[in-house]
Amino acid sequence: MVKKLRLGAAAVSASLLVVLAACGSGSGSAAAGGGGGSTLSWGWYLPSTWDPATSAIGQDVHALALAYAGLTKQDLKGNAVPALAKSWKYNANGTAVTFVLRPGLKFSDGTALDAAAVKFNIERGRDGKGTTIGDQLAEVTDVKVVNPTTVTLVLDKSDYQIPALLAGKTGMLVSPTAARKNSAGLSTKPVGAGPFILTDYVPDSHADLKRNPNYWDAKDIKLKNFVLKTAPDPSVAVAGLQSGQYDMAVIPPSQIQAAKAAGLKVDPITVLTVRTLDVNGKVAPFNNPKVMQAISHAINRKELVQTAFFGQGKPDWQPFPEGYVGYNPTLDNLYSYDQAEAKRLLADAGHPNGLSVDLWVSDASDAIAEVLQKQLSAVGIKVRLRVEQPGINNYITRQYPLALDSFSGRESPVQALTVLFGKQGLLNLGRYSNSAFDKALDKARATPLDSPNYPKALQAATAAGVKSMPNTFLFSWPRIFAYKSNVHGLQNWTGTERFEGVTVQ
Amino acid sequence: MSTFRRAWQLRPAKISVVILAAIVVLVAFGHLLAPMDPLQQHDGQILKGPSAHFWLGTDYLGRDVLSRLIYGSTLSVLTALEAVGIAFGLGVLPGLASVYLGRPFEWVSQRVMDGLMALPFIIFAIAVAALLGNGLHQAMFAVGVLMAPGFFRITRAAAWSFNRAQYVEAAQLLGASPWRIIRKHIWNKVLPTVAIATANHIAGALLIVSSLTFLGIGVVPPTPTWGGLLASDLNYLAQQRWAPVAPALLIMITVGALNVFADAIRDSSDDGALKDATKRRRLGESRNVATAR
Amino acid sequence: MTAAVDTLFDAAAPATSRRRPGIALLRTLFRGLAVAIPVVFIATFITYGLGSLSKFNPAAAVMGETATPADIKRMNHEFGLDRPFLVQYFSWLGHALRGDFGQSWFTRIPVSQSIEQRLPVSLSVAVGALLIAVVLGAAAGIGAALNKGGWFDRGVTVVCSVLSTIPGFVAAIALITIFAVSFPILPSGGYVPPSVNFGQWLKFLILPCTALSLEAAADLARQLRNGLVGTLRENYVTGAIVRGYSTRRVLFGHALRNGAGPALALLGLHIPRLIGGAVITETVFALPGLGQLAKDSALKGDVPVVQACLLVTIGLVLVSSLLVNIALKKLRPGSGRQE
Repeated sequence: MVKKLRLGAAAVSASLLVVLAACGSGSGSAAAGGGGGSTLSWGWYLPSTWDPATSAIGQDVHALALAYAGLTKQDLKGNAVPALAKSWKYNANGTAVTFVLRPGLKFSDGTALDAAAVKFNIERGRDGKGTTIGDQLAEVTDVKVVNPTTVTLVLDKSDYQIPALLAGKTGMLVSPTAARKNSAGLSTKPVGAGPFILTDYVPDSHADLKRNPNYWDAKDIKLKNFVLKTAPDPSVAVAGLQSGQYDMAVIPPSQIQAAKAAGLKVDPITVLTVRTLDVNGKVAPFNNPKVMQAISHAINRKELVQTAFFGQGKPDWQPFPEGYVGYNPTLDNLYSYDQAEAKRLLADAGHPNGLSVDLWVSDASDAIAEVLQKQLSAVGIKVRLRVEQPGINNYITRQYPLALDSFSGRESPVQALTVLFGKQGLLNLGRYSNSAFDKALDKARATPLDSPNYPKALQAATAAGVKSMPNTFLFSWPRIFAYKSNVHGLQNWTGTERFEGVTVQ
Repeated sequence: MSTFRRAWQLRPAKISVVILAAIVVLVAFGHLLAPMDPLQQHDGQILKGPSAHFWLGTDYLGRDVLSRLIYGSTLSVLTALEAVGIAFGLGVLPGLASVYLGRPFEWVSQRVMDGLMALPFIIFAIAVAALLGNGLHQAMFAVGVLMAPGFFRITRAAAWSFNRAQYVEAAQLLGASPWRIIRKHIWNKVLPTVAIATANHIAGALLIVSSLTFLGIGVVPPTPTWGGLLASDLNYLAQQRWAPVAPALLIMITVGALNVFADAIRDSSDDGALKDATKRRRLGESRNVATAR
Repeated sequence: MTAAVDTLFDAAAPATSRRRPGIALLRTLFRGLAVAIPVVFIATFITYGLGSLSKFNPAAAVMGETATPADIKRMNHEFGLDRPFLVQYFSWLGHALRGDFGQSWFTRIPVSQSIEQRLPVSLSVAVGALLIAVVLGAAAGIGAALNKGGWFDRGVTVVCSVLSTIPGFVAAIALITIFAVSFPILPSGGYVPPSVNFGQWLKFLILPCTALSLEAAADLARQLRNGLVGTLRENYVTGAIVRGYSTRRVLFGHALRNGAGPALALLGLHIPRLIGGAVITETVFALPGLGQLAKDSALKGDVPVVQACLLVTIGLVLVSSLLVNIALKKLRPGSGRQE
């Protein structure tokens, strides 16, 4: 009898499940506020933290830009344009810049977004505990509140990059009230003035956001709700898009064919991301520059792009893609694919019979790593692939001296170079600097953006960094989004992805 | 021993043994049988289908799939055997001993095994592999330890039911030591049960190895493993719809052969205990003691 | 654990319980605790020891080489890692039993918060898989037994054998390919709490629960089929049929009652696997459950979170074992001491 009841109950509940499931709401989107208005589900990388001052990953900026806004933002080409500030002006020699804020701005918790709040944020970013942007703001010696809507940043040297710098994570403003009450809490509960407000966050899973009606540009935000989900695994990315789990998701090149076949729109966008080899130049054998140069010569970048990346990229020897202001054409093919030269350099460096190195990768099935291994073995460099999770940790712990990585660019090219080659730069695993590079960088920094000398000065800095530091650049690669045909208004943003004007029908 | 002889008569057993023998050959002599170097990336041959040159086609870097499959078998099977070996050592001997060495040892060993059984398989294996070094060996060591209770209980139950046989009592009365009793009287009777458990556990361990390498644990690229092959195959499903079939089939056939083999032994056992459904429940474990999702 | 808790109930001999039920109950309880408590200690000891043995510590995790020895010492002290091992272990266990699992080394988020967010997901999947396993397994097993020798029986046997050879992730991907891609009826992954949208919640669970249930269902079907075939042959069944009882009454009245015990025991063996082994399912279907949390944390080196996940899973396994054993006891009160 017991068994009969048990079976019966099971059968009833099972049929109930089926009936209810069939009655479940049709679309696949899982908005926190329920169906109705337009919701976008974005499969992208969740931020490592929702506090812009302690984030150590460049990619975080895209997620953070949903909840936060800064004095400036980037336009389609990546140049700084007004956001919370409606204008700015430098003094004569570039050592101070004054921003004029829009009136009546508020954070999502009601705190006034005024000059005092800007001062608070800059000082927090510069001096706060655990900040990762202290290095970038160190040159701001003083922040003067002229009046509630006017704030002046006083710099210790001539630097015209500030508006660009503030267009990214460095300039994102958090509510002083929230930060004073619980600074550490911002890592999971952001309080900003961005286009959306976070309503729910499950780490490593998803973040639910809703439209912020008090956003300064709210009229351009058409989406009512926004769901940020972990980027899908490549094998189920297209399935996820088709079945409605995502409206828009980032896909690797291997899935382009599948996405197109499934009727999805595919957009490879030229952005600032570059695949790199992070190197700790203080650790043997990399402390001899000839070793990294040999490695660079041994790499066939074209084959790398073709074989491991389905042709979706361009060989690159510097941290910027072609066409960007910081891109120095003379660096192209700096270390040409030349196996004989590689072997010669190795012998010069004291390794005539080859070398054994460990290369850390974060993904076990990364084709790039395996192709590199093959290419390097052809010149006698035996590469052992180690699968760990360098990523954020390695920038701070620096325990892996050679790691396959990707640099996601920065809003300011000077900032990008600083992060890569500067003494405290996150991607400078050896944490040492080169005075020639520092000088060139300072010169670029002190050149106004509209000056005709700017591109040249910047490119000189790029060359100085690339030639003197061991970081090795492989190829620039596009951001590839696949999305359903009911998503409209997406634009190709070189820098931070933005959602003004985007609708889902 | 007559059990095994009888098992061999059955046709399913013959087929499964033949399959298993083929796997063993593959594992032992794979490097001689593989047509090509599994690591060699052939230019311009990316994701090609089966052809005269590449019997199972090529993978995302132009490597011969058949060769990778053969080489991958070695690592996958050997690590699975490693785990079962550890489980066998840690489980069978204490299992037998717990029946004869008195109540304190029995109680302690039972509680330790119970404690181990409460730990979730795959999560624990991942935790061990990740926290103690990302090696497949660490992970399979953990799996072996967690499988030990299964062997323990099966051996113990089998030994227990024979313990009460009259000839054992007689031997004890005559003053034979526990070890002698085990060696002379019990072992042969317990062997079929243990053999069944071993076969089932190897099957389970193979599935676990595949799952772990699928998740990326313990995979050292470019070394091929069954699970690792499946994982990368899934990334390129659009280009090669049928790629996952080969490694999946290989896993399934091996596991299936082991299960059939175990069943054959069970069905031809002359011990009524094995056939009786009630006793089978008391013995506790069916074949899937070690598999995990 | 099954055996261990069994002794909980086998302890008192019938004679004793008839005369002095009160004392017998106390003795049973005492014996039961004497068995369960060491198990808890051993399992949790191993769990905590695993974390201690690892090379990770909070300072290395977050600050690494920029940390001075003073920093490392400070952070270790902050997290209580400079105390003797046993002190740490008992303190951790004590806090855990009260629901405090410490903080993540990386994010400082209380681990209990993460567990709270993810436990419902894992439970939904495990319970759903169990239900589906029961329904599918029972239907297939009973049908096969009734159809003994026929095409359904043979088909079920083949399918069950094949199912127990399929690795979990293969089944999951196959289901996605068929039901989410080729015929886009169901979502390929994701999760929504039932409080937000009940229908969606069910929809998201169907595929993962089915994938997870296949192994248990196959086992159950085979077990039921073999058991029923044997029982149906017995004399009392023939007697019942001769007496004119319908097949259905015979089936549900007699045969299944006997078959329920072993079936339940079998399911009881599968439950730990459903709870603790759903990592693969959660990964493939992007379900934010405990398994995925444990895996991601282990790979990052976030030790407190891993320990907490293991602890919670152990707890769930023990509780479910206890429930299963109580149910088993009710079903077959006369069973003797197992081991």
